[in-house]
Amino acid sequence: MKLLELYRYRELIKHLVLREIKGRYKQSFIGFFWILLNPLFQMLIMSFVFSFVIRTGQLSVPFPIFVFVGLLPWTLFSNSLSSGVNILVDNASLIRKIYFPREILLIATLIAKLVDFAIASMIFIAMMLYYQIPFTWYMLLFVPILLVQTVFTFGLALVLSALNLLYRDVQYMFQLILSLWFYLTPIVYSVDFFPEQYRWIFQINPMSVFINAYRQVLLGGDVFNIPAILLGGGIALVMFFISYGLFKKMEGIVADVV
Amino acid sequence: MCAIVLQDVNKYYYLQHQKTLKEVLQAFILQKKTIDSIHAVKNLSFSIKRGEVVGIIGKNGAGKSTLLKLIAGVSKPSSGTVQLNGRLAPLIELGAGFHPELSGRENIYLNGIILGLTEQEVTERFDDIVAFAEIRDFIDMPVKNYSSGMYVRLAFSVAVATQPEILLVDEVLSVGDLSFQKKCMQRMESFRKNGTTIVLVSHDLGTVESFCERTIIIDHGLKVFDGNAREGVSLFRERFL
Repeated sequence: MKLLELYRYRELIKHLVLREIKGRYKQSFIGFFWILLNPLFQMLIMSFVFSFVIRTGQLSVPFPIFVFVGLLPWTLFSNSLSSGVNILVDNASLIRKIYFPREILLIATLIAKLVDFAIASMIFIAMMLYYQIPFTWYMLLFVPILLVQTVFTFGLALVLSALNLLYRDVQYMFQLILSLWFYLTPIVYSVDFFPEQYRWIFQINPMSVFINAYRQVLLGGDVFNIPAILLGGGIALVMFFISYGLFKKMEGIVADVV
Repeated sequence: MCAIVLQDVNKYYYLQHQKTLKEVLQAFILQKKTIDSIHAVKNLSFSIKRGEVVGIIGKNGAGKSTLLKLIAGVSKPSSGTVQLNGRLAPLIELGAGFHPELSGRENIYLNGIILGLTEQEVTERFDDIVAFAEIRDFIDMPVKNYSSGMYVRLAFSVAVATQPEILLVDEVLSVGDLSFQKKCMQRMESFRKNGTTIVLVSHDLGTVESFCERTIIIDHGLKVFDGNAREGVSLFRERFL
């Protein structure tokens, strides 16, 4: 299995992750605080604006924390893919020079975004304390959800980065899709606000499934739907292996077309 | 024991004329040809023994760089096989993988590991790398503030510090000032003495003649000469210049 071979490259992965994290905020005054400020202000503005648009009274939790639990995994997803789709093009000079499994570049950027996600989660913890929502063991169920989301993101990034090599339209088209996708994902609203006949939209949207699941385990409400997440995980895994095969097929010509 | 063995290697490039979807659709509607193939390397076979120093010469577009990419393993042959025995260091596109915002120190680690060293090995060789590149005072400065000479010196130092068994060199010895060029040549010379296999692609026939013992001439993807460097260079002067 080629995936196991990646263990040999752990030091390379580590240093590529460091390159991305250290390089990004090097010439900025407040550095790492940008990782916190970005989601914090988005959350503040969204909860201010939409609290007047949406019947937030129906929610069982304060609206800002409801928004933030959706926004955090969405930002992880969207940042991972935005950087993943360009990863082969951005590293062209490296790719033309020396061989290493190309998916390492993707793995490194996905890990870097997970680090951002972990740092931004500190805001979530602060909000939990502020709203006096009790921490429970049940909340640890967010880990398998995050795992499934990561596999799903990785699979999608593999396909997109490979296609983007052939046609640069992919990166532009995907930016458009991402911004539309945001609105079709229940981040600032709840699926419950929609009439029954439209709910299928949220059932076929993986990001919607993930965000609903995060809310269930972190903020309470419905009981966590284990079969649903197992099914989602299975689908994500199958998609991942197909994408990985496709990516590996492309690998031999990456250096020729990049 | 051979360091590099190429057997019946062919390489086709598929040229995509249309880079965007709009152009693809236009071509599809107008029934234009969307893909052209170029036969960049044709039925190439040769083997290079351990410790041999080989110069590859040819006109622009003859297939030299493609050949280096095939040997480096970054490009896969369309047919045939490329076999390599030993740790390889490419002196191609020096400084690729450097991050401009990171310091020289951080980039030494990153680049050393990209080239196949472990973190431990980079630490052991760190002082040598810095000394050879002559950048001690600038080591904690971001490399974007380096002069182009310092940048290339650092990249060269990291690459040669990997103690490769096979060295691929593509036109990089013309970098830096004269004194550094001399240092590079000395380092290459010591590599040769230590039995490193060196494959050199160069337009500088003088360097090939004096440094290499064997020359391969590539023309339109075909091997047209393989033998003594002196003979090869004079043949090249007669037939191709």
